[in-house]
Amino acid sequence: MSSLEAGADDFAYQQPPEPRALTPASPRELKRLIKDWRSGRATRNVLQAMSDAYVVVFGAAMIGAMVVNVILKAQRTIAQCTSVSCLSARAVLPWAAFAATVAMALAASRLFGPVLASAAEGFWLLDAPISRTKLLRSRLVGAVLAAFLGGAVVGALISALTGSGLIEVLVWAGATALSAAASVAFAAAQQGVERHVLTRVAAYVFGLLGLGALLSVVGVAAGWFNLSLSDNVGIELGVIMMVASALVLLVSAVLAARRLSQIRRARLLSGGALVSGISGAFFALDIGLARDIVVERRAIERGHVHPKRGKGLGLEALIWREWQRLWRFPQPLLVLAGTIVVPYAADALGMSTLTPVFAALALFGAMIPLLGGLRVLTRTGGLARCLPFSLARIKLASIAVPAILAGAWAALTSAAYLGFGDGAVDRTVPEAALMATAAAAGGLLAAVRWTQAKGVDFGAPMVASQAGAFPPGLVTNLFRGFDVCLLTTAPMLLGFSPFWSLAIAGIAAMILLNSMDAETLRARQAEQQKQLEAQKKQRAEAATAAKQRKR
Amino acid sequence: MVIGAFLQVWGSAAVRPVLSEFVAASTLGLVIRVTYSRRVRRRASSPTSRPQTVGEGCGETDPGFLPERGRIASMAKRTTILKVSGLRRAFGPNTIFDKFSLEVRTGEAIALTGRNGAGKSTLLRCLVGADRPDDGSVQVCGNPMSEASPEIRRDVATVIDDLDFFPDLSVVEHLDLLARAHGIADPDDVVDEVLEEVQLVPQSGQLPGTLSSGQRRRLALATAFVRPRKLLILDEPEQRLDTEGVAWLAQRLKSERQRGLAIVFASHEPELVETVATRVVQLGAPRG
Repeated sequence: MSSLEAGADDFAYQQPPEPRALTPASPRELKRLIKDWRSGRATRNVLQAMSDAYVVVFGAAMIGAMVVNVILKAQRTIAQCTSVSCLSARAVLPWAAFAATVAMALAASRLFGPVLASAAEGFWLLDAPISRTKLLRSRLVGAVLAAFLGGAVVGALISALTGSGLIEVLVWAGATALSAAASVAFAAAQQGVERHVLTRVAAYVFGLLGLGALLSVVGVAAGWFNLSLSDNVGIELGVIMMVASALVLLVSAVLAARRLSQIRRARLLSGGALVSGISGAFFALDIGLARDIVVERRAIERGHVHPKRGKGLGLEALIWREWQRLWRFPQPLLVLAGTIVVPYAADALGMSTLTPVFAALALFGAMIPLLGGLRVLTRTGGLARCLPFSLARIKLASIAVPAILAGAWAALTSAAYLGFGDGAVDRTVPEAALMATAAAAGGLLAAVRWTQAKGVDFGAPMVASQAGAFPPGLVTNLFRGFDVCLLTTAPMLLGFSPFWSLAIAGIAAMILLNSMDAETLRARQAEQQKQLEAQKKQRAEAATAAKQRKR
Repeated sequence: MVIGAFLQVWGSAAVRPVLSEFVAASTLGLVIRVTYSRRVRRRASSPTSRPQTVGEGCGETDPGFLPERGRIASMAKRTTILKVSGLRRAFGPNTIFDKFSLEVRTGEAIALTGRNGAGKSTLLRCLVGADRPDDGSVQVCGNPMSEASPEIRRDVATVIDDLDFFPDLSVVEHLDLLARAHGIADPDDVVDEVLEEVQLVPQSGQLPGTLSSGQRRRLALATAFVRPRKLLILDEPEQRLDTEGVAWLAQRLKSERQRGLAIVFASHEPELVETVATRVVQLGAPRG
């Protein structure tokens, strides 16, 4: 055999051994493995963690005690509400809570999934040759359970606050819990077939039902019509709702479980990314950032729009764009329209003194979505830098449209302050109009304050506390907006003239809308300080030179 | 009495411009008679039908730099647009730059180069007013740099990392808004031209959240080109652009410079620096 032949043999291609067929791990095994990793890295058990977080536990206990106290007080107050209209009006409130909870559960489900997976799960698990249904089943159960618990709390709380008896509280808690759980299961079943229209329509329908229920509270209290409800109707209705919700829950849960394997990975991950982003924002108590993430997500869902030509020049162009943006996403207008009921309902329920506070708070919440433009222009400063105006003028242009809407809202809620419910305070038309205006100004300015809040500066000096060091902004960010609401409505709450509220609102407006100018002033001050120091230095040098010349 | 005091405060000279703007803004353009708009309309009705961008502090020369096709500025004399003197910025004990001085005239393009962390972006942030230097001064057209100054905002176009977009306004609507805000009465031609240049015509109706990172970068660049400007400040404009995009950007910036614009940009792209820059400033110690 020649060397060439021998070499040829050496380099001959060898068939690699056939790979052994491996048995893939089961989803249960993978989950156990992940759990093992996680628990293996834990340095404390639950009891130790709880003993460390005693401040949180103590705080939770305190808040719980406060809630119980509020419920007991409400129960005592309800004893004074003896007229048929007042009692009927209050009996309708759990219905409104029921409908609103279902609407919120559907809306949240559509936003997040409701079935979702984290990016890590998407990368490591969803690509593995294992049953996706088994992996995601726990997520579905978790979402349904969370909705059940949330619904139970809301149902029980509202029912208890309206002075219902124990059985009625339990029935409404059960009905609201089951309906919220059924909503999530229904949305999950829709998610499995990539259809969201029904979920969206159902959310709007239940939202309108909630609004209708709230309106009926006002109508009954004002004596416009009478529901003539018997004592047992609340319980009977609650039981019917419970049964119906349980049926929907059962059917939807079965359908959703069967369709789990059909949910696209991208849809699962986008919900997970949203939760991760929002939880990150909430961890820093940056609620504005959490809202930004949701808004961005909605815009991405829409993706494409039919462009509209702008109008006007200068600031006028910015105002027109705000108007066009509002009509492009008009849902906030529905919320704004819905909040008109709040001051009427408050007055109808005999809380005449508190009506301005409730009105301002309701408008505060409704105005935030309308101030998206202000949010974008103030959160980083990059876009505002492209516009040839001072920030104060940009802010004024951004809030022009919301201010007009707030003005219309004030006009439409003026009648609520005239006093039409049982035991309501009667006021003159000018006084009612002024109160409505002051409350609307408070709500608008509170939303402006909330919208232009900056994120917490973790580089700033920390404040020491029992729970560890934290930046001061972490706590104050939570109260942003609410403080303006309370400050502007406080004079009316204390029985002073609404002019005082308007004056406070005026001062708040000047501070809020000129905040950047304060920054400019600081910059100018620093510049002047620099010039002053330079002049001092020059004078000192001149004096030294003069002394040397004398010598 | 309270109303009287309130109105007196609001009607004071300090807040009157703001108040008048608010009142005007509140009427949603129906009865807007703000000074700015009048000024803009007067400009729009002038023979050039374009807004002028020359600041009082920029000397007698009119660079006439406008985002229009083929208009070459007559540069009788080069005026100083940006003057940086003795700039210092430090983070704790770490001094990023010290005693940094620079003068940029019309038709000049300064490239800032240097390794990562050399301080290019920090310097640019100080130049646009997004960051405050510890010492030294920055002047644009003779006016001290202040990010809040409307004159500075009118004259300086910037593309740095903090640019934000309205989530519910499409690509073309962003450009239309910026052009109109800067007083361009009929911005369609300018917007279309810039959109075509940055190759975002197919995406013109898309919302910014759906754009790729490269497309977002192109949109950011478009925001600088769609409006009048005298000074262009760019932080690594070639970022996320493809090869073709970088070549386009180099030619565009070169043409802007030749038309009289002052440019300061940081870059790691040798082709861009070579094509555009008239001067290169190396920041930090070279590697190795």
